[in-house]
This record gives sequence, structure tokens and C-alpha cells, in this order.
Amino acid sequence: MRMSSLILRTAVRFILPLTFLYAAYAALKGHNGPGGGFIAGLIASVGFCTYRMSYGDRAFHRLLPVHPRWLVFVGLGLAGTVATLPLVFGQPLLRSASTTLYLGGSEVHLVSAMAFDLGVLLVVVGVAVGMISRLGEELDR
Amino acid sequence: MVTAAPYLVLAAVGAPVLAGLATMLLPASRRLTRLALATAGPATSVLLMAIHLGRNGVSTADTPTGTIAWVPSLNLDISFLVDGLGAFFALLIAGMGVVVVLYARAYFGHDAASLARFFPTLGFFSSAMLGVVLADHLLLTVLFWEMTSVSSFLLIGWDRDDADAGKRAMQAFFTTGLGGLALLGGVLLFGGHTGIWRWSHLMAEAATISHDGTVVAAFVLMFVGAATKSAQWPLHDWLPGAMKAPTPVSAYLHSATMVKAGVFLLGRMLPAFGALALWLPLLVSIGAVTMLLGAVLALNQGDLKKIFAYTTVSHLGLLVAMYGMGGASTTGGLGAISWDLTQIASHALYKAPLFLVVGALAHLVGARRLPHLFGLWHRPGAGAKAAAVVLLLSGYALAGGPGTVSFVAKELFFAATTRATDLHPVLAVVGVMAIAAAACNVAIFVRLTTTVLGHRSGVGEAADAPVVPAGQPDRWAFMLWAPAAALIALQYLGGLVPSLWNRTFRGIEVNVHDEAFATGIPLAWEPFLHPGMPLLMTAIAITAGVVLGFSGWMRRDMVDVHSRIWPASYRGILRGGHRIFHSIQTGHVRHYLAVVFSVLTLCIGWAAWADPAMLRPPAGMDPFEYPAGLLLGAVVCAAAIALPMVTERVVRVLVLGASGFAVVGLYLVYQAPDLALTQLMFEIISVILFLLVLRLLPRADRRPRIRVLPRLALASVVGISIGWMTLLAGHAADNRADDAPTLGKFFEAHSLEGSELTDGRGGEGRNVVNVILVDFRGFDTLGEITVLATAALGVWSMLPGRRRHREEEDLAVDTGQEVQT
Repeated sequence: MRMSSLILRTAVRFILPLTFLYAAYAALKGHNGPGGGFIAGLIASVGFCTYRMSYGDRAFHRLLPVHPRWLVFVGLGLAGTVATLPLVFGQPLLRSASTTLYLGGSEVHLVSAMAFDLGVLLVVVGVAVGMISRLGEELDR
Repeated sequence: MVTAAPYLVLAAVGAPVLAGLATMLLPASRRLTRLALATAGPATSVLLMAIHLGRNGVSTADTPTGTIAWVPSLNLDISFLVDGLGAFFALLIAGMGVVVVLYARAYFGHDAASLARFFPTLGFFSSAMLGVVLADHLLLTVLFWEMTSVSSFLLIGWDRDDADAGKRAMQAFFTTGLGGLALLGGVLLFGGHTGIWRWSHLMAEAATISHDGTVVAAFVLMFVGAATKSAQWPLHDWLPGAMKAPTPVSAYLHSATMVKAGVFLLGRMLPAFGALALWLPLLVSIGAVTMLLGAVLALNQGDLKKIFAYTTVSHLGLLVAMYGMGGASTTGGLGAISWDLTQIASHALYKAPLFLVVGALAHLVGARRLPHLFGLWHRPGAGAKAAAVVLLLSGYALAGGPGTVSFVAKELFFAATTRATDLHPVLAVVGVMAIAAAACNVAIFVRLTTTVLGHRSGVGEAADAPVVPAGQPDRWAFMLWAPAAALIALQYLGGLVPSLWNRTFRGIEVNVHDEAFATGIPLAWEPFLHPGMPLLMTAIAITAGVVLGFSGWMRRDMVDVHSRIWPASYRGILRGGHRIFHSIQTGHVRHYLAVVFSVLTLCIGWAAWADPAMLRPPAGMDPFEYPAGLLLGAVVCAAAIALPMVTERVVRVLVLGASGFAVVGLYLVYQAPDLALTQLMFEIISVILFLLVLRLLPRADRRPRIRVLPRLALASVVGISIGWMTLLAGHAADNRADDAPTLGKFFEAHSLEGSELTDGRGGEGRNVVNVILVDFRGFDTLGEITVLATAALGVWSMLPGRRRHREEEDLAVDTGQEVQT
């Protein structure tokens, strides 16, 4: 499946980095402002999909060199690990921990739930991109 | 204080499976090491049990062997009871395990792959059996019981290329699995009713258990479990069917272990339930019928393995009847059960050699049917001669000839039946049936003898015997008959020198109720010095058996009518399941939705009927409070109405998208940026997905399967009632008192910092929505992403990828051609 519109392709060249940037922002900011792993995952997926639609399968494969299922596996593994890790320390499932880092004078508040969120992000991207590209491949036949 | 005893027993239970699994780590070429390791498993169990018994002695109901905490919250722990019954069975199982492992080495010979698969599977089975006989906790027994079902399924269906073996394994698994379920039901019923969850507890409290309906029902269920495992009539057909298994498996499963599990369970239940009025009639009737049926069917078979399978069925019936009559001993002091373990051991000690030698014959001579074995003794080769000797010696024990333990065991049973007639004259029938069954066994021995010793010049020349390649001569070939010889030697040792047997068994025999045998089993010739009813019965049985054996009657292969039960019921289950499946799963989304929505409407209707206030419009609502929301709501409604009118699928998707984007607007109007953003992205992706899928779908099927009017009615009712519910819910939230505790307020209050409600722990975030997602309801999110991942896996597996295809293309076209499109 491919839309060979020059306007779209040119636009996507600029939109794609912005999408990823916004997705990263939403993921990092999510705990305190609008955003979060799920939204960030969807944003990134939309970016991936638009790119695939305008540049085709092969170029998309170059952008994301692994099969999307690896994103799903890694994401689910990360989320599962973060969820079960507290059990090792005798804490209930999913108990979050937090720490504050001082980077160049500014405080960065880190919560373990953010790693969980990152797992959610990866799963969402993997599933959405994987399904769409798989179905797209089917259409390319 | 932590005692070592339960850990010792646990190690004994686990040793066979651990050793079996460890053999898989060794390379296939290290066959001797593998064999040594596999033998070491059950041998370790024997050793550990001996150490345990030496240190702690046999435990009784008051001194169970101790427990290891396992799941304390479920009141489930690993507890063992090494009483006489358990210790005897454990030693029998582990000891027989050693023999079978050694025999399997000779049986499978150079077939290293089979051997590699056999050791772990057999170890698994041995451990499961050891667990059954040693467990103290009722549920632990059930757990191990199920493990024996699973592992015996693997063993019986050993030959993967034989479809019939698979079917037979399935039959065995279904039958014993059904019994396992009944046993679980009985255990739960009993435990829930009386609060007794341990065998030791059960025995100690035996006298106080009331005989009410629940206890009787629990007993019947447990008996069903025991009866299916021990192949009792009418569900005995799985046992002869399981003869599809390789001989080491048959020898192990049908002599000492699997089928004896049911008998063992009855032995465990005897002290507690023996006093039930139902015990004796139920067990004796089922057992006696099985005993006679098995014996008659055994006589009517030509295949040695089938013969011994049916004699096993027969003997299991005998043991069940024996425990049945033992019920009278626990209450009335009637000495109808004595030396039960001796009777069980006697069976194991001649049945295992019989099976082992059948396998040896299949290897050495290439035949298993009686006519093909004619003149076996006169065949060349030391192996065949040795096998013939063992076969005849074991057959003699099968017949219960004087000089063997088996003879004494039969005497014990006859004595029990004569005693039981004191209880009720009708039990004399059991004695008659026992004589008939014994006569059949004698006749089988006569036929074995005449066949094996028959001279070559006679009729029935074995030339038509199928010549099976007997395999390469192997230095382990003697192991084909040596284990059988060792086992049968014990029969004669015990029979001729009973003082040895008595010294071994007196300590563990619990049920010695006949004062005639109070000191021990008698010497071989003692019954002849004090003739009585049992000896008369033996004489009748032997005479009748010899006549029957030489006669021409009952020589054809008889088909057991009960063998039709399983195929018929299996087919019935499959057909019924098929029919139900097709009436429920029509494959049309419309039908599923209709069902789901009808149920939903009914639920809401029921709620409205229960609380008519739901039907009144909420007071004090201003519909025009948010004009923008009203407008967007109208867009959603318009899209919904337009949707069924459009016929083109793509347009439908776009209309659906319009509705979705209007919802995004609604979220913005009501100040929910997170939701709006999510909905927006989700709408984009779902529109893309829809468009992709629609292009892959076949042309629309225009014929509606449900008529339009009912569909319209259902849709309207569902839409209106859900809308109405939403309105009510929103109104209720508006009108709540300000200080009412709600989840929303809790989340708002705790998303950043905790309070004493949450042990001072907060979500450490200002975005309540996200904190709910990853912290408060993080478990939900974990579940949701798992569902997502599963759905994606489904897509990838149902539409198999073309990645390899594409990689090939990549190699061919990796020159930047995509730019020019």
C-alpha cells in the first residue's frame, strides 16, 4: 500500500522527526502533564504508518530494521519485569519506587512507573505498526 | 524443630524424575552412564526409604511423618505419611522401577532415541506414584494421582507412529482422568464437610466420623476414582487396551504401580470408611464381578499380553473384593481380611515377571500368541530356554500352586470368603466366583505348559509364526529375562521359607484379623496338615482348572462387549460437542452481537424493573448548559444514523471516523486533554487499519441473516438504554454531596503524594490519568498490553509473514529503485 504523492512524501520528511520528538516528550512528560506511554505509543505509530504509506515497505524496513514483534516482546518484558521486580524485595506487585537525580543543578524526578510506561509505549508501537505493516504487505501482493 | 524426615521422603519421591531428567543432559552416546543414572533414581528412592524406615520406623495415624509448608494460605502443605501401607507400596514401586529400567535397556536395545525418551518419562511416572502412596494430605494425593494419569498417558501412547496406541492412551487417560475428577470431588466434599484433610487425621478420627449422606457421597466418589484406576467393571476396558504400550511399561504399570493405585486408595480408605454400610456390598459386588469376568476373558485370549492383562483385571477385582470384605473386619471383628499387603505383593511378584517374559519372547522368538509359541522349550538358544523356564515358573505362581506366596495369598482370600459367609449367606457366591476365577488361572497355566513343552513334531508347528527381526545380539540381552527370574525367585523364596517373608512383612501389615494367620503366613505344606474349607476350595479350583485347561473349550479370542463402551461414548461426546459448537458458534458477527445486546438489554430492563426510579428523567438538568457539547453530540448522532444507510464500506469507515472525531471534540470541550489526544491518535490508526482490512475482505454478503425490523428494534433499544444509563450516571455524579468519598477524589488526592490511607505512598505524578494507568490500576494496564500483544501475535500467525520472501527481493533490488516510484 503506497500513496505516491510528492506533497505527502515531502511533508512526511519533516513530520516524522517532529512526531517522534513529540512522542518522546509525551512519554517523558506523561507523569506530570498530558501524555503518557499509551498516547506516546499511538503518536509514534501514526508517524511510522504515515512514513510507510508514503515511502513504501522497503524504506520502512530500513527505518525500523527489526520485526515489530521485537518491540512487543521487549515492551512486554520490560513492563512485566518492572511489575514483578518489587516481589523480589518483598513488596506487592507493581509497587513503584522513585528517586531524584541532580543533573547539572536541576532536579530530575524518576519514578519506576516511567519504565513501565516505556514498556507500554513499545507494546503499543509494536502492535499498531506490526498489524498495519502486515496488512499492508498483504495488499502489496 | 525442623525434622529431616519429610525432606528425606520428599527426596525419595523426587529422585526418579530428577534422575530421569538428568539423563537428558548426557549425550546420547553415553548409554551406560545414562542407564546408571536412570537406575540410580529409583535405587536412591529405595535407599532413602530404607534409611527413613530405619531411623523413624513405620509411622502410624498418631505420628505422621511431618510436613513442609507449601501454600499455607490454602492450608496446603507437603506432608507425608509413611505408614505400613505407604512404605510397602513405596518400596514396591521404587524396587520395581529399578528392575524395569534395567529391563528397558535390554528391551529397547540399540534404539537409543526411545531409551532417551523412556528414562525421563518413566522417572516422572515413578515419582508420581511414589507421591500418591506417601502423601498424607488428601489434595496432595489427588495432585500426584493426576500426575500418574498424565505420565501413564505418555507411556501408553509410547509408539507415536501407531494411531491405535494414541487412541488407547486417550482411553486410559479419559477413564482414569474421569476417576481422578471423581476423587477430587470426593476429597473436596469430604474435606469441606468434616474439615479433615489428612489421611492420618482421617484414620485417627475414623470412629467419630458420622455416616451421613455427604460422607457416603464422598466415599462413593472416591471409590469411583479408585475403581477406574484399578480397572474395575464396567470401566475395565482401558487396561487391556493399554497393552499397546511397550512391555517395560506394561510390566510396570500393570503389576505394581498404576493399577494398584486404586487398590492402595481402598487400603487407605479402609480404616475410615470400612464401617460404612455401603462399603462391603459396593466393593464386593464390583470386585467379584471384575474378578470372574477378567478370569474368563483371560482364558479366552490367544495373545499372551492380552491374557495377562485380563488376569490383572481379574486379580484387581479380587483385591477390591478383599478390601470390601475387610470392611466387616473393622466393625464386626470378623476376620475377613488378613495380610492384604502380602496378597498385593504376591500379585506384583508373578505378574511383573510374566509381562517381562512376554517382552523377552517377542524379542527372542518374535511371537506373542500362544499357537506361535508352541514348542518353545525345544527351540535353540539359551535365551529362549531361560524365558520358557521363567514363563512356566511365573505361570505356576499365577495358578497359585503350592510352594509359592501366591498359593498362600489365594488361601487367605478363600479363608476370607468362608468367613464372610458368617456375615450373610449370600456372600457364599463370592466364594464360588473366586473358585471359578482360580480355576481359569489354573487352566491358563495348563495351557502355557502344554504349549511351551509341546513337541515340535506335534500339530501347531510354529512355522507360521511371524519372524520379527530379533535385533542385534546385545551384551545386555540377558537382562530380558534376568529381572523376571529375580522377581519370580522371591515368590518361591517367600513360599518355601515363609519365616523370611513373615519377618519382612509382619511389621507393616496392619490388617491381620484372622487369628489363624496371626503369627504369619503358613509354611507351604501347613494347609495340607490342617485341611479346611480353603484347601477344599483350592482343590476344586485346581481340578476344574486342569480339566478346563486340557479341554478344547474357550480357546477362541473372545471380544469383550465392554470394549464398545469407550468408542461409543467417545463418539457421542464428539458429536454432541460438535452439535453444541455449531449451534452456538455460527460464525456470524451479527448473531454474536445480537446475543450480547439482547443480554445487555435484559439486564438493564431487569434493573429498571427492580428500581422504577431509573425510568424517571433526572430533575434539574439544563440541556443547553454546554452548547458546543450539544452540537458535537448531534454530529455523533447524525453519524450513527447515517452509518447503516451507507452501503459502501469505505464510506462507512469514514462516517465512523467522523463520529470518533466528534467525540475527540467532546473531550476537548469537557477539558480532558489526555483522553482527547488518545482518542485522536486512536481514531487515526483505527481508520488506517479499517481501510487496510476492508480492502482485504471479500465482497460484502448482502443477505441479512436477521431481518431488518428486529435488528432496528434491538439497535434502538440498546442505544437508547445505554444513553439513558449514561445520562443517569452523569446526573448522579453531579448531584453527589461534595464530601462524598469517591474514587475520583481518592485518585486526585493521592496521585502525587500519599496519605495514611496508602501508607504514605503516592503516585509521584501530577497527571492523574497517567498515574491511574501505570500505578493505581497498573495491573489492568499490564493485562491490557498483554491482550494487545496476543492480538498482534494472532495477526502475525494467521497471516504468515513474507519476510523471507522480501529479504530475497531486497538482495535483488537493493539499488535504490524505490525512489523512482
